[in-house]
Amino acid sequence: MSSRILPNFDLLVPNSTSEAVNLLAHYQERAAILAGGTDLIVAMKMNYESEILISVSELDGLDYIDFDPNSGLHIGAKATVSQILDNADVKQHYPALWQAANVFATPQIRTAATLAGNVLRGSPAGDCSCALLALGARIVLQSTEGKREVAIEDFWTGYNQNARKPSELAIEIIVDAPQSATGSAFHRMTRVNEDLAKLNGSVRLDMDGNVCKSARIAMGCVGPTTLRLPKTEKLLQNEEITPELLAHVADMVPTEISPIDDKRSTAEYRLMVSGVVIKRLIEQAATAAN
Amino acid sequence: MSQFSVIGKSVPKVDAYEKVTGQPIYAADLKMQGMLYGKIVRCMEFAHAKVIKLDFSEALKIPGVVKVLGPEDVTQTTYNTGACDEMVSDKVGHLLGDLKDQSIFTDHVRHQGDAICGVIAISEEIAERAAAKVIVEYEPLQVFMTPSEAEKTGTHQLHPDKANNMAFQLPEAMFPGNSYGWGDADEAMKEADIIVEDDFYVNKQKQCQMEPHAYIAQVDGRGRLNCWSSGQMPKITHQKIARLFNMPMSMVKIHSTTIGGGFGARLGIIAEPETCALAMAVPGRPVKVQTLREEDWIISESRHAGDYWMRLGFKKDGTPVACQARFKANTGAYFTHASGVPFTTGAWLSGMYKFGALGYQGESYFSNQAPAGAYRGYGNPQTNFVLEQLIDRALTQLDLDPVQWRLNWHKGVGDDGWCFGVKYPSCQLSECLKQGAEAIEWNKKLAEFKNQTGTKRRGVGVSVMNHTSGAMPMLLEHTVTTVMMNEDGSAVVATACSDLGQGSHTVLHQIAAEALGLDMNEVTLKTGDSDANGFDIGSHASRTTYVGGNSILEACDDIKKQLLERASKHLDTAVENLEFGGKTIFAKHNPENSITTAEICRLGVYNYMDPETGEPEGAPGQIFGFSSHFAKHNSPPFGACFVELEIDTETGEIELLELVHTHDIGRTLHPAMAEGQMVGGAQQGIGMALTEEIYYDEQGRAVNSSFTDYKMYGSSDMPKMKVILVEDPDPHGPYGAKSVGEAGLTSPVGAIANAVYNALGIQFKEAPITPEKVLKAIKENGLNFA
Ligand SMILES: Cc1cc2nc3c(=O)[nH]c(=O)nc-3n(C[C@H](O)[C@H](O)[C@H](O)COP(=O)(O)OP(=O)(O)OC[C@H]3O[C@@H](n4cnc5c(N)ncnc54)[C@H](O)[C@@H]3O)c2cc1C
Repeated sequence: MSSRILPNFDLLVPNSTSEAVNLLAHYQERAAILAGGTDLIVAMKMNYESEILISVSELDGLDYIDFDPNSGLHIGAKATVSQILDNADVKQHYPALWQAANVFATPQIRTAATLAGNVLRGSPAGDCSCALLALGARIVLQSTEGKREVAIEDFWTGYNQNARKPSELAIEIIVDAPQSATGSAFHRMTRVNEDLAKLNGSVRLDMDGNVCKSARIAMGCVGPTTLRLPKTEKLLQNEEITPELLAHVADMVPTEISPIDDKRSTAEYRLMVSGVVIKRLIEQAATAAN
Repeated sequence: MSQFSVIGKSVPKVDAYEKVTGQPIYAADLKMQGMLYGKIVRCMEFAHAKVIKLDFSEALKIPGVVKVLGPEDVTQTTYNTGACDEMVSDKVGHLLGDLKDQSIFTDHVRHQGDAICGVIAISEEIAERAAAKVIVEYEPLQVFMTPSEAEKTGTHQLHPDKANNMAFQLPEAMFPGNSYGWGDADEAMKEADIIVEDDFYVNKQKQCQMEPHAYIAQVDGRGRLNCWSSGQMPKITHQKIARLFNMPMSMVKIHSTTIGGGFGARLGIIAEPETCALAMAVPGRPVKVQTLREEDWIISESRHAGDYWMRLGFKKDGTPVACQARFKANTGAYFTHASGVPFTTGAWLSGMYKFGALGYQGESYFSNQAPAGAYRGYGNPQTNFVLEQLIDRALTQLDLDPVQWRLNWHKGVGDDGWCFGVKYPSCQLSECLKQGAEAIEWNKKLAEFKNQTGTKRRGVGVSVMNHTSGAMPMLLEHTVTTVMMNEDGSAVVATACSDLGQGSHTVLHQIAAEALGLDMNEVTLKTGDSDANGFDIGSHASRTTYVGGNSILEACDDIKKQLLERASKHLDTAVENLEFGGKTIFAKHNPENSITTAEICRLGVYNYMDPETGEPEGAPGQIFGFSSHFAKHNSPPFGACFVELEIDTETGEIELLELVHTHDIGRTLHPAMAEGQMVGGAQQGIGMALTEEIYYDEQGRAVNSSFTDYKMYGSSDMPKMKVILVEDPDPHGPYGAKSVGEAGLTSPVGAIANAVYNALGIQFKEAPITPEKVLKAIKENGLNFA
């Protein structure tokens, strides 16, 4: 059972990134980072405890979303899902991410929730996370030792596990720059509109006419982390997108996932619909590319 | 021009401004001087267990803990949190086998969440921390969750008097063969050309009212037990609490707090016993018990799930010759509404169609699920899901149109209603069917969908229902009203009728204003105070407008009679010559000869002597009207619901496109609120049909007892909706009104199931119809949509 009462903690509110990383260097595992709190506070009402919370709320200059055609999209750690939704560059160049933000939670939650929090929480049902995995992204981590970048496919190392060290603060997410004919799409299935996904998927295609030069395909709620589907991606590479190919794709997808039965759906159902979802996303992404 | 000045208008809800500006006081908002906090320790690990060790020592060490009470520290009197026991005579209660089998704290956990003991502390936080320190050791017992498990030989018996865990069966003494209906259904079935028959499962749905249960209790300086409760039946709460603690009702006071929705969840009592017991241990100090959503979920009752078998027989031309049904309800761990729901589930069945013969058996079984009880519809949606699908299955075989067949065979004026011997006084179901069919373009869509292709398939479905306006003659329907005329002619109407948010206070207000010829702001309602309000059975069975409204009309008639008698003296003419014209009373043939009701009321109170004549000015005495009203009828409303939906046959997902909701309302007293009831009802009916169910794990623990994983349709999920209110004043209802409270939930359930059937040609026997079930069925049936 949950509780209306939070466990005791000390709240530290650093004013700068350097102050934040110093605090992290000092407290290490004893501290948790608090962004929008839409995952963390919920967890604290259930069973999660952390002696120290370090809030990002007063860190200067981390709420940007900047697009550069060459270097891609730069999303500061404090940027919220609402900001993603309001950003014209995201909508134009990264439709998958915009679509994920568009169905994400409710206006109240979107206003508080950060994109970084979504990735750092690493839930296999994370919607923006799924889109980012398909789009190609890097997580920029900073500590007193310096900065490093981790590719998103290497970031989630297992259920509730990721590559961040206790001393590191995620400061930015960089999404790969689109090619001349890149299209992307995101879709999730839920029980009702305001819900967590029972299955989500995202596709990015780099196209040349009707030929797919390369594909990135991500699917969530079908394994311990959001997964990439490399065999399915390979089926598409340098191929013309035809109904026959899509039928192959639809058959391949379920072989790459390992869903379970849980409160939101069944393994059987997820296996049955996974191919359909990806097939439709490919069609959508291909259309978006051209 | 309407003949009414207030009735029939969407006047502002009396509490709307307060509500949207956050002013009403819910129990959770109340803070009192010296208030303590209670936390009930509940068994969350097991659904069935014996407590073998209970140790408070560690909890008592925590600073700020005042007391910890166990089963022995509170009254040993047992009770029933439902309300059926107060609504039938003891004699009937005995025949039905009703039980009072609940206790404040228990050492025999019968369902997850059963209360073990209670902590009192100076803050909510300390109470919760101390509750976690109470040491309870359990010995797990065999868990059984369904009627079929419950009745198996060898299963643990939950109550010694109830063999095979059968909590209730229609009693032989009242219903020979443990069955009711008419004719000989077995014999009649032999005449059928076609028979459809199946076993269905109906789901356990939760009311999901917005406000989680919260209570405060305090024994005051005079030794009176005060309880702040958001119950929807304040006078039943009053009586039950007084009896439980063996106190005269005069020593118990129930303060009704603003109610944040009920839908049946607040019918009877919930955690008032625990809260009062804690308060009695610390006389003088108020004690507040606030539940969490997960706690609310398992301590308040849900809809009855169950197994529902039905068999219908028809002639080739569609004549319905026989209906047989058996509902095995899952009542959960305690008796609560074990008799009421399986009884009425068949009543709605009986009230619907002109079958040649009908036989219904209703039973309920104990299990280790959280108790079931009242939920908007009270058995009706369960019947709707089963009956309406089977009807359509037969009609497909007979190649008959679902709307036309229902037009031909629904019961109507003069037929026996849901309660035998009480005939329908009004019925506009045919009109509802016609207008609804037109609104959704039934014929056109039905024809179109026969030839559809592609992976997305559309379907339309119809379902009809009958309900009730109050539960007479089965249950007591009694409301007391007093109307006090102020000395300026405005009025105070006192009644215990509660407003759960549905707007009953606004409608009761309108009825009083209309009857007395006053403006809305010249009437006020006095409710929520058990000292000031006479008896009222409480809000249930869609009865508050109908029974409460008639009670107010009766009390207002008493006022009018007295006003006319006084006017007759003032104006020196016989009462027969007078006309009550709202705020003035005048002589019919000489309207100049008039007096205002305000003047009559003023003179009655300020009854001075005229210095010139030495006589009193006017008749003395403040005017009070009174009624102790017993409902004379139950004027059932009818309704038809039409649904259009689209199914993605590759994913099993169902999208509701349009829902047309028609209702035989008698007369609409408040159009906006009546529509609101239909829309809100539809939302819950949709939930029952498509998304809502409480799931349990293998150990009998609820896995989705909060909104994270119990999914209701939200506003963005709702289809386009059209509400059609068909008016035809009923002879018994206040101003001709019939009920609209529960009805809106019922027919969407069957209409959705039938629209799915129309789209896919598959019927689903288990509610809710989820995409998982739809896709599986499409594959199992080898259907290929392209
Ligand atoms: C009602 C509700 C609905 C929701 N619906 C959805 C939905 O539709 N789709 C979806 O994907 N999610 C949903 N969520 C989950 C949640 O809102 C998202 O995961 C959100 O993006 C988390 O962001 P946050 O800023 O609130 O993170 P927080 O809760 O503050 O943090 C989440 C985790 O990330 C860590 N973290 C945050 N920022 C940093 C940083 N800069 N550096 C290092 N670590 C960091 C925190 O320590 C914590 O472990 C929902 C949650 C709720 C309560």
